[in-house]
Amino acid sequence: MKALRRYVVERKVSLLTILALLLAWQAAGYLSPTSALRGSPLVPPFEFIFGPALLGMSDYWQYEALAPVPSLGGEQTWRGAFLALGYHSALTLWRLVSGFVIGAVIGTILGLLVARSSITRGLFALPLHLLRMIPLLATIPLFQFWFGATNMSAIIFVAYGVGVVYFVGTINAVSNIPPRYIEYARTLGASEWRIFRSIIFPAILPELFSSVMLTLGLAWSAVIGAEYIGVNSGIGRMIIWAEFFSNTGRMALVTILLMVYAGLSYFLFRRIAARILSWMPSSASRSAVL
Amino acid sequence: MTAGVSIEVQDARCRFRHVSGNTIDALAGVDVTVQPGEFVCLVGRSGHGKSTLLRAIAGLTPLSSGIVQVGGTTVDGPSVDRGMVFQEDTVFPWMRVIDNVAFGLKNKGLSAQQATDIAKDWLQRVDLADFAASWPRELSGGMRKRVAIATVFATEAPLLLMDEPFGALDYVTRLSLYGLLTELWSRTGRTIVFVTHDIEEALILADRILVIKDGGVADDLRVSLPRPRDEERRASPEAVAITKTITRHLGLAELLDRHAGEAQK
Repeated sequence: MKALRRYVVERKVSLLTILALLLAWQAAGYLSPTSALRGSPLVPPFEFIFGPALLGMSDYWQYEALAPVPSLGGEQTWRGAFLALGYHSALTLWRLVSGFVIGAVIGTILGLLVARSSITRGLFALPLHLLRMIPLLATIPLFQFWFGATNMSAIIFVAYGVGVVYFVGTINAVSNIPPRYIEYARTLGASEWRIFRSIIFPAILPELFSSVMLTLGLAWSAVIGAEYIGVNSGIGRMIIWAEFFSNTGRMALVTILLMVYAGLSYFLFRRIAARILSWMPSSASRSAVL
Repeated sequence: MTAGVSIEVQDARCRFRHVSGNTIDALAGVDVTVQPGEFVCLVGRSGHGKSTLLRAIAGLTPLSSGIVQVGGTTVDGPSVDRGMVFQEDTVFPWMRVIDNVAFGLKNKGLSAQQATDIAKDWLQRVDLADFAASWPRELSGGMRKRVAIATVFATEAPLLLMDEPFGALDYVTRLSLYGLLTELWSRTGRTIVFVTHDIEEALILADRILVIKDGGVADDLRVSLPRPRDEERRASPEAVAITKTITRHLGLAELLDRHAGEAQK
């Protein structure tokens, strides 16, 4: 009961904090000067973001069959704005999800292979830690040089960023499995494959799920980063297009959209994790996925 | 029903190397013969080789020299024919209770349906039929031990090895598990080797007590008390004599004398 009351109080406080921040932003919007270019306020207030800035998104729509194309002389339309946002969001999400899945699967498989023996663990430990220390965004130009400013390049980049974390995470997770489980399985006649499938894999799942929470944020940064620097589409690219003409409202709008997407992806994932990890004591499963 | 098997340990030696570089002889030439269906307790102080001997019989700890044979076959690794219950909680937390009990059965090549049927039957015998679909975290420590016992009995392993399985449980839970274990043992006729440092536990359970000291067998005591071994029987002259012999081997008397001497100073 006490815990519940504390939860509500804390939630209320954090809701109040959010409300205060929104109000402060709005106030800053009225107080800040307007950019000389295109009349865009330096701090765009919300009615500007969800008004002219949102409508302006139709500038990035390019297929005349579905809505007018402003770059070909057509007018700005709400339909075009939502189509443009939907189209570029879909591209970004596709890069994010496919890169994430490829990275997670390959990283985990490689991690499992390496973790099986102490010799391979020793061989890979140091290079991996060095690899992890390289700032991810610094490697984007190199990736684009190798793979071009393409969809594929963005996917490979996300997969790399996510994969390294899974690789290291899996090796750690496997070495953390209490040996007694494996010994017990052996005395129950389990084959190597069965130990792998029924003991090692489920035992590392909680740590793998923490890696997911860790890498979701990383994957978002990676895909937006790839779009900032090279790939010529996606919502990350929309921010850059907006920046070219000091369209602060559009930048803020896409940022808000990104917050919504990232929040949704966390929420969705926590639901899935809570289901799959229902065997864990509830406090432990919460800390594994938070 | 499976009957038990014999165990033959000949001149078993097991040497460990510490991180410091020192070596330690956990087993220093052990010879033991166990008859089929016997309930043998290994009693001794910590670090004297009880668990190492048990793990060597299980095939989990390789010997430096010597030989362990179970049912006439030399042990060279773990097997489903030598079930083991550990001191720690080893029930797999990510499998439901029924899947835990069925795990060994599936490894033996039984179909999922057959394994589940047998597992259900064993859960009934350990009085956990209502918890088949539960997660282990929903069970108490004593209930999880019953799951572990059902798991090793279900595989029909003719030899069961138990390494201080009830060490972490409270007294009353332990007493009820002694009852369950002796009942299952007398019904199925398996051979059981049970490690404990608790003399009372050994007196309740064993046909035979091997006192393990300095990596060897210091004494081999028959316990012919009738079962169930309630408090009265454990206070009989035979039981008291056995207890005295064991405490003498464990050096308990000297320990007490020394403390008494220090207390007087």
